[in-house]
Amino acid sequence: MAVLEVKHVTKTFGHASNEVTVLTDVNFTAAAGEVSLVIGPSGSGKSTFLTIAGGIQTPSAGDVIVQGNGLNQLSGKARDALRLNHIGFILQAYNLVPYLTVEDQFKLVDRVKPQGNLDTAALDHLLAQLGIRQLVNQYPAELSGGQSQRVAIARALYQNPDIILADEPTAALDSERVKVVGQLLHDLAKAHNKAIVVVTHDLRLRDYADRTYAIMDGKMTVA
Amino acid sequence: MFLALKEIRHEKLRYGLIVGMIVLVSYLVFVLSGLAYGLAQQNTQAISSWQASKIVLNSDANDSLSQSLLTKKTTDKAKLTQHEAYLGQAGVVAKAKGQAKLSAQFLGISQQQFIYRRVKVTSGHKPVTNRQIMVDDSFKTNGYHLGDRVTLNSTDTTYKIVGFTHNAKLSVAPVIYGTLGTWRTLSHVTSDFQANGIVTERASFQPKVAGLSTLTMGQFINKLPGYSAQNTTFTFMIGFLMIIAMVVIAVFLYILTLQKLPNYAVLRAQGIPAKVLVTTTLSQAMLLVVGGLVLGAALTLATVLALPAGVPMGFNIPLLAGVTGGILLTGLVGALIPVKVILNVDPVSVIGG
Repeated sequence: MAVLEVKHVTKTFGHASNEVTVLTDVNFTAAAGEVSLVIGPSGSGKSTFLTIAGGIQTPSAGDVIVQGNGLNQLSGKARDALRLNHIGFILQAYNLVPYLTVEDQFKLVDRVKPQGNLDTAALDHLLAQLGIRQLVNQYPAELSGGQSQRVAIARALYQNPDIILADEPTAALDSERVKVVGQLLHDLAKAHNKAIVVVTHDLRLRDYADRTYAIMDGKMTVA
Repeated sequence: MFLALKEIRHEKLRYGLIVGMIVLVSYLVFVLSGLAYGLAQQNTQAISSWQASKIVLNSDANDSLSQSLLTKKTTDKAKLTQHEAYLGQAGVVAKAKGQAKLSAQFLGISQQQFIYRRVKVTSGHKPVTNRQIMVDDSFKTNGYHLGDRVTLNSTDTTYKIVGFTHNAKLSVAPVIYGTLGTWRTLSHVTSDFQANGIVTERASFQPKVAGLSTLTMGQFINKLPGYSAQNTTFTFMIGFLMIIAMVVIAVFLYILTLQKLPNYAVLRAQGIPAKVLVTTTLSQAMLLVVGGLVLGAALTLATVLALPAGVPMGFNIPLLAGVTGGILLTGLVGALIPVKVILNVDPVSVIGG
């Protein structure tokens, strides 16, 4: 079942002679229980695609439908609420609050969204799967790049969202960890019926994807 | 509050410095307010103790008690009752053998009138003859005792201290209460002159006598030499300090907010409402200001305890509440300045291209 639909989305920045088109008539569908991979080089428009799909940016033309809700019709607050409750972001950089320990990163989510998050046992299992259970009392500054990235993945998954949008989730990881994260995302999609969209230039993730798209110069094609 | 507390706990040095700044500003505001209040008290303590409503002076005296002189002829026309009292004032220098000279305000009052009844004795008794005086307690702290014989100004006449009274100050000088006869002697006036002024406890008192003008006690206090200038100066200093406190808090919070924008952008991307981030900033500012105020108040208390008794510092609940409320308010206003930046934080900025 399609939970995220991107319909004829075009995104331009600037005006008149300075106008730059970043996305051109992009169509995309993500279904529950599937991992969708969007592969493209830097500057191809994949992060813009991700922000529009997640309701952070609005398209210049076209619409995004999340679980039947057209984002163009939602207010800023309603889009915030939709993200908080249904979309988990795994970001590439600055993805942890520096003055919160790993454990507190999850507590923060609990404070803003008290219900629907993973329970203690599920979180413990997730941390073990990602190999970061022993890091719960560490601050982000005490973690390596790979550890930070795995904590960021855990935090996004902790919200138990229906849709997970990941921006280069394996950028800081070695091949072994890429396998772990790739398998985790795949298993989440299958076992928990999540729709997972990953934008990346890491071809190692192809093995874990149900669908692969390529994005180049703002145009998306099925790979 | 969760984020605010966690950040303060983690960034102890950074927030310690901000609290330190607020401590210093609030300490300065508390001390200046205490000095302003204490000095104001020392200008008017004696007047307040009479619980009078108005004062009548010579209309040519420019509202100054010491410049006013009332003749018996004039006061007889004023039809005084038991609610009015004569008051004679003279600036004096008191000296006793082996003691330091003390500048003081001599106030001549009548035994039959209400001021005499209202003045409280802390030890000894009130003066009953022209050679007896009752002095403010500060004489005691300067080594004077009951029974000491004191000369006033350069006269050879000695006056016996028969009593002490508490909190009797006028124009920041201790008061010496004596008789109107003594006042005449010290002022070098004949018995044709009754007093410098008439004090009344009746708000409706209005003598219809040519050459007299009536002032409320509030008006009279404001005309005391230096009183308004001193209060205005302190008010300006405290006001500027409040503004400085607001600017300091605003600048610090603004800089801190700018440093935290990438984190806030991530949180906004995750759907955490801007309201949560604004509340965090405001509650953090309030925590810092309250912490600074508590430490500033403690430092002020320590200062008050360490200061010599002669330093005119005084506090009361309305004053402390006003100062505390003022600093809290300026902190809140300062914290509101970065709010616009938080509301406009762009989550897109943390997602690469």
